[in-house]
Amino acid sequence: MDLSTVIGNIWELLKYEADRPMIFSSGLFWALFVVFIPVYALLKNRLWQMILFVTAFSLYFYYKSSGIFFILLTCTSLLDWTLSRLLVTLDVKWQRKACVWVSVVASLGILGYFKYANFFLWNWNAMVEGNFQPLDIILPVGISFYTFQSISYIVDVYKGRVAPTSTWLEYLFFLSFFPALVAGPIVRADYFIPQIRQNRHATTQETFIGLWLIILGIVKKAIIADYIAQYNDLIFQTPTGYSGFESLMGVIGYTMQIYCDFSGYSDMAIGIALIMGFKLMKNFDFPYKSKNLTEFWRRWHISLSTWLRDYLYIPLGGNRKGTIRTYVNNFLTMLIGGLWHGAAWKFVFWGAMHGVGLAVHKACRPWLSRIPDTRWVKVVAWSVTMLYVSLLWVFFRADSWTDSWLIIKNIFTNFSLDYVVPFVKVRYVWLIMMAVIIGAHCLPQRWHDRMLDLFIRSPWTVKLILFIIVVQLVIEFMTENVAPFIYFQF
Amino acid sequence: MNRNYLAVWTILSVSLLIITLLSFLDSISVFGVEFKSSGIADRLTQLPDTTIANSGSVDDEKVVMETKFPAPLDTASQNILIIGDSMLEGLNPRLAAYAKENGHTLNSVIWYSSTSKYWGTCDTLKVFLRKFKPTFIFISLGANELFVRNIAEERDAYVKNFLKQIGDIPYLWIGPPNWKKDTGINDLIEKNVKEGCFFLSNGMHFDRAKDGAHPTHASAALWLDSVARWMPAHCAHPIKMKKPTEAKGRPASVTVLQPLR
Repeated sequence: MDLSTVIGNIWELLKYEADRPMIFSSGLFWALFVVFIPVYALLKNRLWQMILFVTAFSLYFYYKSSGIFFILLTCTSLLDWTLSRLLVTLDVKWQRKACVWVSVVASLGILGYFKYANFFLWNWNAMVEGNFQPLDIILPVGISFYTFQSISYIVDVYKGRVAPTSTWLEYLFFLSFFPALVAGPIVRADYFIPQIRQNRHATTQETFIGLWLIILGIVKKAIIADYIAQYNDLIFQTPTGYSGFESLMGVIGYTMQIYCDFSGYSDMAIGIALIMGFKLMKNFDFPYKSKNLTEFWRRWHISLSTWLRDYLYIPLGGNRKGTIRTYVNNFLTMLIGGLWHGAAWKFVFWGAMHGVGLAVHKACRPWLSRIPDTRWVKVVAWSVTMLYVSLLWVFFRADSWTDSWLIIKNIFTNFSLDYVVPFVKVRYVWLIMMAVIIGAHCLPQRWHDRMLDLFIRSPWTVKLILFIIVVQLVIEFMTENVAPFIYFQF
Repeated sequence: MNRNYLAVWTILSVSLLIITLLSFLDSISVFGVEFKSSGIADRLTQLPDTTIANSGSVDDEKVVMETKFPAPLDTASQNILIIGDSMLEGLNPRLAAYAKENGHTLNSVIWYSSTSKYWGTCDTLKVFLRKFKPTFIFISLGANELFVRNIAEERDAYVKNFLKQIGDIPYLWIGPPNWKKDTGINDLIEKNVKEGCFFLSNGMHFDRAKDGAHPTHASAALWLDSVARWMPAHCAHPIKMKKPTEAKGRPASVTVLQPLR
């Protein structure tokens, strides 16, 4: 083994590669985190050195995922921080508001350019029947997430919910905090910034909860989501090539895949932050247990739905301006939430339909509350909710409207139970994976707590063995096309 | 260092060390079950010149012309079956477009992670031959066997048995798109197939997907275009492969088989 070759290869690995963003379940992040921990531990009691080190690591993490755009993140943070410092020195209301507007417009302007410019140009082109070349724009990874964090900061400073950070470095630490940087959970300034100054050490229990969450996240993302994605992708790539039963399995598969993928990432992010002594917001709370759409959005991507509630729905008037306006505000919030997911009409449609669903549920509440809450009613309510959510995932995932309709049509017109036995024979591993995640989802909370408790109390050798087993399982089930997290693109 | 950090660091670093060390072994097997390697050792020790450049498109000039004869073109519409490993994900859409353009019917069987050993030890192929009754078969196998040691001895019987199942049905074996020098799979295939039934992909340049192994869909389409251009002059049984106007199509059916565990 030639040492210079090894060093050269490591150097190459550390460089930015456009098609290989750094993800928590990758070997490279694992190796870097092993280097990160002792340095972090040594600097933990020296606040400013710790802040500087973590910020530098976060910016490197972002450079590895998005290349030169780490400079954009740095500039955005400098502008936000300068405006927030200016804001608190001003007494005139319109001047204070102007600071907020400049910051929000700058953040949204950058997001709009990178994420939506081509989308609007395409639509404009379609309307005027023009002929243009799309702009050569690369979307910086995670821009939607940190833009929302930046907006929450300036608004919270304006509202007096949080004092502006005394230094730019502290703010950059908040905005670039690597566990939550590229795919959330969306960190709120009033929740996170006070934790920086507290600089608390994680307790032993929190440290092992963090490790448990990392393991759980790896299982969800790198084993289950990536494996079941292989079959789901085939269904969505070739909608007419499969029977209705197989298409139905693909739709159910994607419903679980997106949950495992995104909640797995969130678990890892929360776990890493917790080991570092920082608490991030819970992002998922068994969303597929929901018995109505309102409950679903209280359990799914909680950091986004509460952000939309606090910074969009309530400023729009919330439920304070009458019944009709409440429904309209709900609808608009979800519509914008849909567009936040991606610059395509399918996301707008997905968001709008969730908005319609929420409005309908709100409108029916007085009537629904009169129905006795029996087991069968619960089953029906859960089934209707899951059917609605799953069908909308088809539009979210499929490449086009045509494909979405083809898949749905296929399920309803080409369904035959003859495919069940061959399906079980051929795709038993896929079914086992699905059974594991559905089973885990259905377990009562106390079972999860019990498993966590057992893990915390187990000797470190048991934890080590468990970690190695999980890593080997990842290697065994690794697909040849390792997929980045679905939510990276948002 | 704080005890908590030390505990987490120990777990993460010891496991990383173990997984890395294991990747330096040729194979790990416990009670007859073989475990996959993490590939860390390969990634760290690979020589830069063994990595095929990730730029450029399929370079026809690199394709080694294997045969000399132009056989008569079979102008009939074919019932095509394509079988193989995950490389089919890239080849399928383009081959389906060719099939549509030329009036053929295409059925596809993807067996993920499959090798000549998979196909050569069971009668899976026979089942699909009975089901689809193909008149022409494309094979894309070998990518999962690029680095098998003693491949000439170990896999020869499987390749022979696999080809025996095909019998007299005309076929073309599209060789694996090497991303590193192989240990002999291309030579093994070439030795066993009939003349004009093997398209050597080794030496071609591909844009690779994130895993560094699979060609991107665009590159796979160009790969198949190269096969189609090669066929009239060099294939033992050339069929109509006029370049399609549409970029991609959909096979009449896609059957997916999961990797063996």
